[in-house]
Amino acid sequence: MADGAGRQGYSPPVPTSRLVFQGVRRRFGRLSVLEGVSGEAAPGQVLLVTGPNGSGKSTLLRCLAGLLAPDAGSIEYREDDRPLDTAERRRRVGFVAPDLAFYGELTVRENLAFFARLRRVEPARGLALLDRVGLPAERMAGTLSSGMRQRLRWAWALLHRPRLLLLDEPFQNFDAPGESAVRGLLAEHLADGGMAVVANPSSLDFDHVDTRIDLGR
Amino acid sequence: MKNLLAWLLWLWISAVIVGAFYYAPLAMGFLGESSRILFFHVPMAWASFLGFIAAAVWSIRYLRSRNPAHDRAAAAAIELGLLFGVLATVTGAVWARIMWGAYWNWDPRQTSILISLLFYGAYLALRGAIDDQDTRGRLSAAYAILGIVVTPFLFWIVPRITYSLHPEPVINAEGKIEMESRMQHVLYASGLGFAALFFWMHDLACRVAALRERKPAP
Amino acid sequence: MWTPASTWAAEALAVFVKEWRCEFRTRYALNTLGLFAFTTLVVVSVNLGPLGVSTAQGTAVLPVLLWLILLFSVAAGLPRTFVQEEESQTAVALRLAATPSALFCGKLLYSLTLVFALAALVTPVFAAMMNLTVESPGLLAGALAAGGYGLAAGSTLVAAIIAQARSKGTLFAVLSFPVLLPLLLLAVEVTRNAVLGDAAGVALPQLLLYDASVTIAGLMLFPAVWNP
Repeated sequence: MADGAGRQGYSPPVPTSRLVFQGVRRRFGRLSVLEGVSGEAAPGQVLLVTGPNGSGKSTLLRCLAGLLAPDAGSIEYREDDRPLDTAERRRRVGFVAPDLAFYGELTVRENLAFFARLRRVEPARGLALLDRVGLPAERMAGTLSSGMRQRLRWAWALLHRPRLLLLDEPFQNFDAPGESAVRGLLAEHLADGGMAVVANPSSLDFDHVDTRIDLGR
Repeated sequence: MKNLLAWLLWLWISAVIVGAFYYAPLAMGFLGESSRILFFHVPMAWASFLGFIAAAVWSIRYLRSRNPAHDRAAAAAIELGLLFGVLATVTGAVWARIMWGAYWNWDPRQTSILISLLFYGAYLALRGAIDDQDTRGRLSAAYAILGIVVTPFLFWIVPRITYSLHPEPVINAEGKIEMESRMQHVLYASGLGFAALFFWMHDLACRVAALRERKPAP
Repeated sequence: MWTPASTWAAEALAVFVKEWRCEFRTRYALNTLGLFAFTTLVVVSVNLGPLGVSTAQGTAVLPVLLWLILLFSVAAGLPRTFVQEEESQTAVALRLAATPSALFCGKLLYSLTLVFALAALVTPVFAAMMNLTVESPGLLAGALAAGGYGLAAGSTLVAAIIAQARSKGTLFAVLSFPVLLPLLLLAVEVTRNAVLGDAAGVALPQLLLYDASVTIAGLMLFPAVWNP
């Protein structure tokens, strides 16, 4: 188990967890999207996945989240040295992606309260996160602008205090306050010993990158 | 080895056909030679249900293993079940026309096989509506298993309903215990032959499906 | 004051509450089911009511018509519970957050309440418009309860299956009909017995067995249907 590279004297205050994936393959019909991708993430680390459009970044993240089953390869995720199966991993990760949507007929607060109950987390956590990202609690989720929807995705992703964040285009549509709010949340997550896998079409200014995978062909 | 078995099957079924016409006597109370349909119609129905059961078994295996070969096997079993089911229904309808004057009588067995045909058709329609291989495999497997859970209920209800609507006795084709022993020989031999035919065709269908999947990506 | 939902049942309840909360704000299912049921009812009674169906014919035909009305109304309005999740892409969030069995039960509970409400509204109106006298109302209630349960359970599972396919509307009808047919035949028979007041040989146990089988099948199959 390595400390985050370049961080002297870093000792994670929370139990250790680790994500390791090897040889992940996935095809859709005749189109091979992922061809043997491997990588890992450790507490406090960020794994950056880069590549042009269509190179499989979103597919990889969905495989890691348990939303897609890879055709081949292995994905191992451990928390406290206890390996979790796919179903457990699915519920434990925090996921942000452009196609994540919420219930338009419910308010922002009601959406988070619902998912808080599913995740067996107190609803106050949802309200606190809404404050952090800056969202009006009583707005109907269907009336949110794209930037506000992105904030809601972040709030939802962090609801259950996940150890592993899987972020697919996490900063899209943000204005400056929104982006700085979530970057702050990400920094806290990493400081608490969490890990992150981030997929960005372009390598944005990202100071914490510890490892990098490039899916470009 | 497989060639030898295929030849044996050919011989067996040829013997069944010969036996159906020359060895077995005519059944009492049936017009002319029409009772000979029995030796083909009934085993076809058996083969059809065999397809359903095989599909359910392969579906359960697929859900456990997620091996695409198991999914292909389940789909092939349903396709064959449909084929034999249609053949059984048609031969049955022809026979019903000869015997009872009408192609369709809502006889319990006719109804049961019709409903199983609906299941096969629905299963294939579902597969046709899903593009992703994994999703297609697990959804159709779930449906096949649901189907096998639900169909036994038909065997309880259908006789009750049809008898209440059609009080006149419906003559069942195989007057079970009263069947002459030579007829039984041919019938069971035919049943075995058709079951073997099912498995042989199933094996072929699986191999064809596997080859289809191995086409190189463009 | 408010404790975290620490049990599976609370999770299922949360799903149930969410379904109804969304439903009250859009009224989609209530409108669809209600309109469909009453339109069919009107069509049926216009054709059969005024002509005065004889008692013998009525007993044979009317239970079937009642269940057909329920079946088609359910087919029109119920699949949306899963189809909507896929189409509005909220299914991604649900897949990551919910325990599959709790999700299934929550949705099933919602479907049940819809079907029972529908049956409770339609049946008296149907009986009145068709001039149908029911000898054993208790047995009729049992038929509607047990039959309605089967209708809801079978439809919920099939809805979950077709939600991830194309052409969902026609596919639901095609897939659910063979599954629901045994249920319908049983329910019609028990309903007919209730109308006649004849409790002999009632198929209620088989109906309940069907309900149990479909429920167990649903619970076991749903995780495979829902998650990859």
